[in-house]
Amino acid sequence: MTQVTALSSQEAQSAADPKAGTRSKRARFSFDTGGGRIVLQLASVSAFFLIWEFAAWMGWISEFLVGRPSGIWNVLATRTLDGSIFVDSGYTLYEALLGFVIGTVVGSAAGLAMWYSAFAARLVEPFIVALNSVPKIALAPIVLLWFGTGLVSKVVLVVSMTALVALIAAYQAAKDADKDLQSLMRSMGGTKHQVFYRVIIPSSLPAMIATFRINIGFGLVGAVVGEFISSKRGLGNIVYTASSLYDLNTVWVGLFTLMLVGFFLYHGIDFLERRLLPWKQDVERAHVQL
Amino acid sequence: MSEPQIQLSIRNVRKSFAAKGGEVPVLDGLTFDIYERDFVSIIGPSGCGKTTVFNIIAGLLDADTGELVYRGVPVDNLRGRIGYMMQKDLLFPWRTVLQNVLLGLTVRGVPEHEALDTAREYLSTFGLSGFEQSYPRTLSGGMRQRVALIRTLIMDPDILLLDEPFSALDYQTRLYLEGVLMEAVETFNKTVILVTHDIDEAVALSKRVVALSGRPTKVKNVHTIDIERSSPVEARSDHRFSDYFHTLCGELDIQTTKKRVKA
Repeated sequence: MTQVTALSSQEAQSAADPKAGTRSKRARFSFDTGGGRIVLQLASVSAFFLIWEFAAWMGWISEFLVGRPSGIWNVLATRTLDGSIFVDSGYTLYEALLGFVIGTVVGSAAGLAMWYSAFAARLVEPFIVALNSVPKIALAPIVLLWFGTGLVSKVVLVVSMTALVALIAAYQAAKDADKDLQSLMRSMGGTKHQVFYRVIIPSSLPAMIATFRINIGFGLVGAVVGEFISSKRGLGNIVYTASSLYDLNTVWVGLFTLMLVGFFLYHGIDFLERRLLPWKQDVERAHVQL
Repeated sequence: MSEPQIQLSIRNVRKSFAAKGGEVPVLDGLTFDIYERDFVSIIGPSGCGKTTVFNIIAGLLDADTGELVYRGVPVDNLRGRIGYMMQKDLLFPWRTVLQNVLLGLTVRGVPEHEALDTAREYLSTFGLSGFEQSYPRTLSGGMRQRVALIRTLIMDPDILLLDEPFSALDYQTRLYLEGVLMEAVETFNKTVILVTHDIDEAVALSKRVVALSGRPTKVKNVHTIDIERSSPVEARSDHRFSDYFHTLCGELDIQTTKKRVKA
């Protein structure tokens, strides 16, 4: 290990050397540090809201149609104090996550399993393509009819949106798995089962996790659209009811909370990826300096 | 030399592949023997089906006709008894060096602690101690190929099938790894079949060289390389080295004399 670190630090040194000359000329942008970036990011967000507030105050924009940050803040404070924002977020998050997990696990498993039988895969492929070409969101009204207005319908909707995406990604990744690695496994006396567990699954994992990212977004879409159509709670419910009452500030609270939820879910996937793919990590930190 | 024992006979093996214009014969009745503790190089023009021979021996392809006889017993293939090594190191990127080396033993079902001990021993023999937990992408090409060699040797295969294992490496690393290979083969008493484009490498390493003709492929000639050597580098300074080299170039229809005049 020591040798490796020694090697890489040496490489880093030699990579830095030619840059040393240009560094003084092109003085490194002093905000390009963790803290510096956060300061810049917070400053731009604050500026955005300040300008918005000011414009609404001056009457340049209609508070009725776009809302106003101070109003948004009031709604947020009330809903935070009575805890209802957490309940609604919880509903939406639960629907999205549960649907995502079921859809992704079932879809990925089915997609990987299709690797086992080329015949079965060829047989069902056109059906999958056909099913996938239906915009799943169009199923929402039927799903609501069949599964009621409660939690189940939203979860089913999310499953319908995520499962096929996961299936296609997993199947494609399994098909693309390195043939030579499979041959090597076979020449070592490995069974088809062993090839599946030791080559197909690990080599498909990166593509599958990349799909998690897309699917977690779909999860929120499914949950929110389900709530739009019919619901008693949830962030989609807040947005929908408030906008039909022209209560724009509450709409924004719903939207910003959704954004936050999506943001955390995305980083959850990031975390998962680092955990599941440690072998992908070291190199990705390197950026090409131009 | 005492009478050599035949370990593996390849007899009259034929193989053709389906292509657009119909069947394309690749191997046209290939016959040659591999002795116990032999080191045989197979050379031939590109695309002559050298890798196909390997795939048939390894059981990754079935021959159309012909047979393999292993120590007197006809067999379908040698799956599980051979160690296969290719130009690509084929290390599993998601496995650490140690896990890569362990792969074959795991497939075979060797108890874990036993496998671990063996793996660590091999890694230290080949100077890779300290890299157990590294992922392949952090290693140099030569190191990766060394890990691949350990992974092959640790299975204690009866025959090593090496398919241009060093051709992607720079010359220095290649010379070094040729030495490592030769030493390992001596230490572990292995039989080796090496496919190579590199006549120089074939002469330096092998006891015998099988020259194949172009497609459809047959054995053109088998040459015995009678060089006393303790290392591949030393072999290259033997006075017979260049004679063998030119003979083999002739087998592949490479005009060595003309080239020298040009130079």
